[in-house]
Amino acid sequence: MAIVTGKKNQWRVWATHAFLWALLAVMLFPLLAVVSISLRPGNFSTGALIPTEISLEHWKLALGFSYVGSDGKEVTPPFPVLLWLWNSIKVATISAVLIVALSTTAAYAFARFKFKYKSSLLNGMLLLEMFPRVLALVAIFAIFERLGAHFPWLGIETHASVIVAYLGGVATHIWTIKGYFETIPQEIEENARVDGATHWQTFYRVLLPMAVPILMVVFVLAFIGTIIEYPIASILLREEQNLTLAVGSKYYLADQKYLWGDFAAAAVLSGLPITLVFLAAQKWIVSGLTSGGVKG
Amino acid sequence: MAGVKLANVQKSFADVHVLKDINLQINDGEFVVFVGPSGCGKSTLLRTIAGLEEITSGTLHIGTELVNDVPPSDRGVAMVFQSYALYPHMNLFDNMAFGLQLAKVPKDEIAKLVHSAAKTLNIDHLLDRKPKALSGGQRQRVAIGRAIVRKPDVFLFDEPLSNLDTELRVRMRYEFAKLHEDLKTTMIYVTHDQVEAMTLADRIVVLRDGRIEQVGTPMELYENPVNEFVAGFIGSPRMNFLKGEIANVQGDEASVKLTNGTTVNAKISSPASSSIAQVNLGVRPENIRIDNQSKSVACPVKFVESLGSQTQIYCEMPGMEELLTVVVNGTVRVKAGDIVPLAWNSDDCYVFGADGKALTQRTTQAMRAAA
Ligand SMILES: Nc1ncnc2c1ncn2[C@@H]1O[C@H](COP(=O)(O)OP(=O)(O)OP(=O)(O)O)[C@@H](O)[C@H]1O
Ligand SMILES: [Mg+2]
Repeated sequence: MAIVTGKKNQWRVWATHAFLWALLAVMLFPLLAVVSISLRPGNFSTGALIPTEISLEHWKLALGFSYVGSDGKEVTPPFPVLLWLWNSIKVATISAVLIVALSTTAAYAFARFKFKYKSSLLNGMLLLEMFPRVLALVAIFAIFERLGAHFPWLGIETHASVIVAYLGGVATHIWTIKGYFETIPQEIEENARVDGATHWQTFYRVLLPMAVPILMVVFVLAFIGTIIEYPIASILLREEQNLTLAVGSKYYLADQKYLWGDFAAAAVLSGLPITLVFLAAQKWIVSGLTSGGVKG
Repeated sequence: MAGVKLANVQKSFADVHVLKDINLQINDGEFVVFVGPSGCGKSTLLRTIAGLEEITSGTLHIGTELVNDVPPSDRGVAMVFQSYALYPHMNLFDNMAFGLQLAKVPKDEIAKLVHSAAKTLNIDHLLDRKPKALSGGQRQRVAIGRAIVRKPDVFLFDEPLSNLDTELRVRMRYEFAKLHEDLKTTMIYVTHDQVEAMTLADRIVVLRDGRIEQVGTPMELYENPVNEFVAGFIGSPRMNFLKGEIANVQGDEASVKLTNGTTVNAKISSPASSSIAQVNLGVRPENIRIDNQSKSVACPVKFVESLGSQTQIYCEMPGMEELLTVVVNGTVRVKAGDIVPLAWNSDDCYVFGADGKALTQRTTQAMRAAA
């Protein structure tokens, strides 16, 4: 910036920096603490932030290796952490893809078509989603138990049931995408209609390419939302090999025997897919995709 | 190629009645311009022809086909929007080729059509670019090019030149004229701009508040407006209107007594108006001259706008509320505060009744030519 600034401004810059550092510290501390715990020998939650002694024992367990403890006994991994991680990634990816597909098509209808009860539907969906989902747990369990009797692939203990349950939570995403669609000038699509495009072609070839950033945002949000989801997954999945990491890592903290170190390693591991998805999506989250289409 | 025929077309949005009983026949190959004040329904009328709005009642024919319920893509129309509405994520080639691709035209044929249109519009060196990387004028050409390549029966242009600078407008105006001459396709063109309307149109349609006020060639509208609105709308600067009442009618010659007591003669052709009636006397600024003669009125000058080739003088007529606009040659030097003698011919006056209807009928140039 080449704008001339006054003396007073320097103080503001200092204050801003101080504030940002403080904020950063508050945000980063828990993360660093978890990383630190996962690298400390023994299963203790407290200790120095910078470990005095680095031990990879928790990481070995998390990654499925055994290690020989200080007392000479071999310690085998108590839980299949990598399998859980894989389950999580599978469920979250499929859910996020389906959520994006459902909510963009629904948002297109809400943004561009005229039909009866449109606003009641929109508001109703949002209202329903405002109830804590925990309140519906009993119902969700009952529904999938019943469904499972007829369609075993959709019953309790299947990942399909979890994914379908997650698809219920698209209302906020529909709102987000609808809001974005409404900022895109309608003339562009109208021109496509005059050019001979069907509704589907208009949606797919004209509107969607302009909406890539918001689709990515929704994908990331849906991915994060489903990969960290606990209540629904915990009632639909019980058997060890079916669990997602969010549900499974709770096992470290059971039986009055808190394995903080192992838990921390699994926690750091669970952050990995989120980070990767975010980094991959970031490239697509850019502004200005619609610029140049219409005159100012 | 096709004409367009609208009969009793009405259009309402919920409870907003936008188009009111539109009857209009546009001939094959004609260049028709819609003008009218902002919000009068020009874009809406164009969009109903395109099929982007359903008409509430009435019939719309394109060619011989009734198209009330035909989707836009099957109407054989191409539209250039008020905003250009380019596809921002496609390069220029794809922008222009999109319609053809949807119509499953063979690839090499598409390339040929696009390149030839681009060449005509002088954008063939930009085909790889995205719309973002273009100037306003270039975007405009892409929008036009996109319409041309589809070889429509009817072109619809919604204020295509607004937002361009004056120089570019003039050049593009010429290009529109040339385009019409080359393609000889029916074109319907919406504009705010007097000059565009007068220069491009075979016929002008003047709209007000969702109704057609008058349809005619540019000179017909200029010489023979059917009412005060059209008279004020066509011609720039706008016609002067002076309030008065008819004092006396002899044959086709009426004396109009202005509110300041002056009596002015004017031609009228509706004899029914011989009763004493409130009227408006209309005189075009270009028909008033600075002239010292017995009938001249001495008017103080309020302010002056010099445009170089011509000078617009705004005068106060003694005893009248309305300012009088006068257009004179740019060589005439007057300044505010001067008192100038103004005169005009009674032949150049128009008389409008209290309801705004013109009481003056002229022999137009067209009629004179025919006679
Ligand atoms: N979708 C709509 N819903 C309700 N009213 C509308 C809609 N579209 C247009 N109108 C109304 O119809 C009238 C005509 O609008 P239109 O856009 O046709 O005007 P216009 O003559 O093109 O004006 P401008 O010269 O400013 O472009 C306006 O009063 C507008 O408010
Ligand atoms: Mg308009």
